[in-house]
Amino acid sequence: MFMKQTKVLLILTIVLSLLALASACGNKTENGPGGEATPAANAKKFAPKGNEGTISGAVAFTGTPPAPKKIATDADPACGQKNPNLSTEDNVVTNGKLANVLVYIKEGTLADGTKIGDWTFDTPATAVTLDQNGCHYKPHVSAVMVNQKLNITNSDPTQHNIHFTPKNNPDWNQSQPNGAAPLSHSFARSEILVPVKCNQHPWMKAYVAVLKHPLAAVSAEDGSFSIKGVPPGTYTVVAWHEGGAAGTEKTMQVTVPANGSVTADFAFGEAATASGNPSLQMMPALDVPMMVRH
Amino acid sequence: MNRGVHRFALLLAGATFFLIIAGALVTSHDAGLATSDWPLSNGQFFPKMVGNLFWEHGHRMVATTVGFLTVCLTVYLYWEQICNWLYRRGLIRNAPAYRGEPRRWVRRLGAIALGTVIAQGLLGGLTVKLNLPLVVSAAHATLAQLFFCTTVSLAVFTSRSWLKNQPTIEEQGSLAVRYICIAAAATIFLQLIIGATLRHSATWDQPLPTDLLLTHIGGAIAVTLLLGTAAVLILLRHGSETFLTRPAKIALSLLAVQLFLGVAAYITRVASPNDPQPLNPMVGITVAHVACGALVFATTIVLALRTFKVFRASAAAFEFATAEHKLKLEL
Repeated sequence: MFMKQTKVLLILTIVLSLLALASACGNKTENGPGGEATPAANAKKFAPKGNEGTISGAVAFTGTPPAPKKIATDADPACGQKNPNLSTEDNVVTNGKLANVLVYIKEGTLADGTKIGDWTFDTPATAVTLDQNGCHYKPHVSAVMVNQKLNITNSDPTQHNIHFTPKNNPDWNQSQPNGAAPLSHSFARSEILVPVKCNQHPWMKAYVAVLKHPLAAVSAEDGSFSIKGVPPGTYTVVAWHEGGAAGTEKTMQVTVPANGSVTADFAFGEAATASGNPSLQMMPALDVPMMVRH
Repeated sequence: MNRGVHRFALLLAGATFFLIIAGALVTSHDAGLATSDWPLSNGQFFPKMVGNLFWEHGHRMVATTVGFLTVCLTVYLYWEQICNWLYRRGLIRNAPAYRGEPRRWVRRLGAIALGTVIAQGLLGGLTVKLNLPLVVSAAHATLAQLFFCTTVSLAVFTSRSWLKNQPTIEEQGSLAVRYICIAAAATIFLQLIIGATLRHSATWDQPLPTDLLLTHIGGAIAVTLLLGTAAVLILLRHGSETFLTRPAKIALSLLAVQLFLGVAAYITRVASPNDPQPLNPMVGITVAHVACGALVFATTIVLALRTFKVFRASAAAFEFATAEHKLKLEL
């Protein structure tokens, strides 16, 4: 009888320990490296006043960029058939201009003296799409707001799995066979940036920035970017490009005038720094909440 | 003695070794989460084996086979008890011709193997469902080595050389080889835990954590010292006993190969973050390092078991122990 009770207790202890372990492993820290402005507890809701400006510019790559590496697709011939020149896309450089650079406002002060972190912004109702196409993620780098919907589609004739490996948000992995319905996901906490990978095709990588405001853009193939709807004020703008353990960042201070625009050009590569002083231009601004470049 | 049980135990140990290789291939290819499903893959029993799903689902298929073989071996060992149980309930008419394994502790070891393989399967499922947390993944890799060690032990205990009356050998010298062998096996097990943690701490595209890497190198030195001492002592003191010298020589050779593979695995692994995907040289050498580690562990277990079977304490040590006992009684 005693032995039986001991065995039951032992099994219960093991099961409880496993549950505790699983729960401990599932926990994520609340305050990880986010980087961007954090709304204060008494944050006010931001409403556009019609005098918002634009931060635009181009991202250059100085020196000789590393050549893209050819990817062997023997393990899944469907990838090679759809995308015969499959290669790495960590440095997409065209005529000295760098694509897939995330440019976002990290912190700053509005013209009325309030901090950008004191404001909350409406989450866009439109979803951002992340497509698996030619055994690559398109777009390679994208930005969403906290709780904004991210639609994941599979346009390939093969199966994928989409695996987000964040630090501040829960890990998320989901298989998506070819022809399957789109998946949907959102992030509850801000994070710069969430790596995305496909465990079926290890070369497939993407990055998703999760921000508390919509003031971000990703450089296009010609290196250009434009952040619209920026309230007048002085900001720290960060340009992030992948590479190494946590990517490379360039920082610049800009002042956005009312109804005007400011140019902020960045440069990556050999001995590159953020270029000179930002230049001001007075021009009408459009209010576009979020930019995602393919 | 039943040769069939021994052959089946050998088959199971061989299949388990193959399973360890299959598991190592999953880790090196970063294929553990190639499907978010478990136990099915993408909702299918036989999915299209393309990309890294080939490694992950292949691993599951080999694991299922090993689980089935373990059930068969346990039934083989408990055959008499199972038949008696069925006979008592009138489900069979005749008592079994084959009597099963007569030694209760060997039967229990078979039951432990069955329990371990079930736990290992559940742990494998947990790694997928929890998205490969380090603790669970390292535990899965470590339990695999323990299960392999159990199957190898079953093969040893059912072998002809174990069942044959081996002459008892008196231990020579002040260093008790039996205990050095046990220390070597325990150190190798710790080294396997460190190695598993190191492998699961960083995927192929991330640099290995330096602290764990240095600990693993320190572990390699400790294993080399202990296993080297045990094997050399056996070769020097009991060179004519092939029952002991054979596993000692194999362990020494495997240790040398393992050290070489460790250096080679480090060199290829350091370069891998610059590759677009895990490449064959890194995968092949790293998996060989894992497999050779399992073989070093298994051989050391065999060596330790055999030393405990044939060695007895030397006369001097016996006299010393007796005198000490007498002294305690007098006090």
